[in-house]
Amino acid sequence: DALLGCHRSYRSRPTHGIGKFKYLLPKEVPKRRKEKVQMKEISAGTEYQYGDVNIQMTSYDLCLVEHFAQYVHRLCNRLSIRVIESYAMPTKTNEVLFLEEKGSKMQLDAVLTTHQRIVQIRGLSSTFAPILLEVIQSSQPEGVHLLVKQHTEADFKSRLKSRPELEELLAQMS
Amino acid sequence: TAAAPRPWRLFGAMCLLRLPRITQPLEKEEEEMAALMEQIELEKSHYSDHEIRKLEEEEQLRRRKESLYDEDEARGKTVIMAQDLEDKWEQKFLRFKAAPRITDADKSNDRTSLNRKLDSNLMLLVKQKIGNQELWLLPQVEWQPGETLRSTAERALAMFLGDHIQAKVLGNAPYGIYKYKFPRAIRTEDNVGAKVFFFKAFLQSNDLSQAELKADHLWVTKKELGDYLKSEYLKKVSRFLLD
Repeated sequence: DALLGCHRSYRSRPTHGIGKFKYLLPKEVPKRRKEKVQMKEISAGTEYQYGDVNIQMTSYDLCLVEHFAQYVHRLCNRLSIRVIESYAMPTKTNEVLFLEEKGSKMQLDAVLTTHQRIVQIRGLSSTFAPILLEVIQSSQPEGVHLLVKQHTEADFKSRLKSRPELEELLAQMS
Repeated sequence: TAAAPRPWRLFGAMCLLRLPRITQPLEKEEEEMAALMEQIELEKSHYSDHEIRKLEEEEQLRRRKESLYDEDEARGKTVIMAQDLEDKWEQKFLRFKAAPRITDADKSNDRTSLNRKLDSNLMLLVKQKIGNQELWLLPQVEWQPGETLRSTAERALAMFLGDHIQAKVLGNAPYGIYKYKFPRAIRTEDNVGAKVFFFKAFLQSNDLSQAELKADHLWVTKKELGDYLKSEYLKKVSRFLLD
């Protein structure tokens, strides 16, 4: 049946490899993994523009924070503000121990996880910044802390893990 | 050579906003959607550690009652059962009392208190004397040459509420402008009318006990603005208010 027939080309047939196209595309060089790129910072021009601005959202509730981060990202897309990165910081786990001292000392444990999402923005003009901030502030969900600050090298470094062996070797060399 | 004196007098006005403290109640469709999503998620989810533990312990109890297995007793895991934990948590939850969403100030409709509508923005209105009329306005003060308009607005705020207000102004740009001409009686060559520039500030702290130099102040929501402001003024002000 024409409907059920599958069009497999056998290797002996002249139509073998008819669907291949990758040889037509330009060759890609595989990317190197190290990204030590530093973003440039603009500040104080005639049209006052902020450089890289980080919007950090912290909360105990994972779904809320993620959805809020998505909302902020989409808002910036709609308002044609350039979003450079949108990443998450590692979650911090806190154990809460209650020491009840009514007779028998009992310890009730509670485990709280703190999640943090960061949206990085560039090219925010100073006339527009207060409006954006107000919109984000008024649409904050309950239980989410909002922090807006400039992006610094320290922020960038805090994402990277320190390598003690490498540092030791470097110290030995120099 | 000095510039020709402009015929307009400039004022800087500050719109002090108190951000909402609670979320607004959900609409009917939002509530239905939320309930539906919760049900779907519940049906799709797996058991958590606590629930698995509870089920296992129930199984053990049942087996013990039926056929008196003594082997499981040697485990010693059953110091605190999952069911006991749940009961304890239930009791704790019942003891917890949440703060009321509709406060006393709402019921008495006391417009001078900050605890009124906790789910919407509240703005400050002050009674000021302009010309020979007493009007309800946003606090405004005349601009002195040599200072920025933003500092004029901050000065207006300080004048009406004292120095220790933790209000945050976000940007240097004004949000709106209202200009009006004086009635012909007072109009002179140099003084045709006035322009009022509006700035926005957000109240950081909830405690205003140190402030209040003047008693004629009100905290109103956007809808209630119409009761107090004149129509032209209201039109320009409500242009820059989000709600």
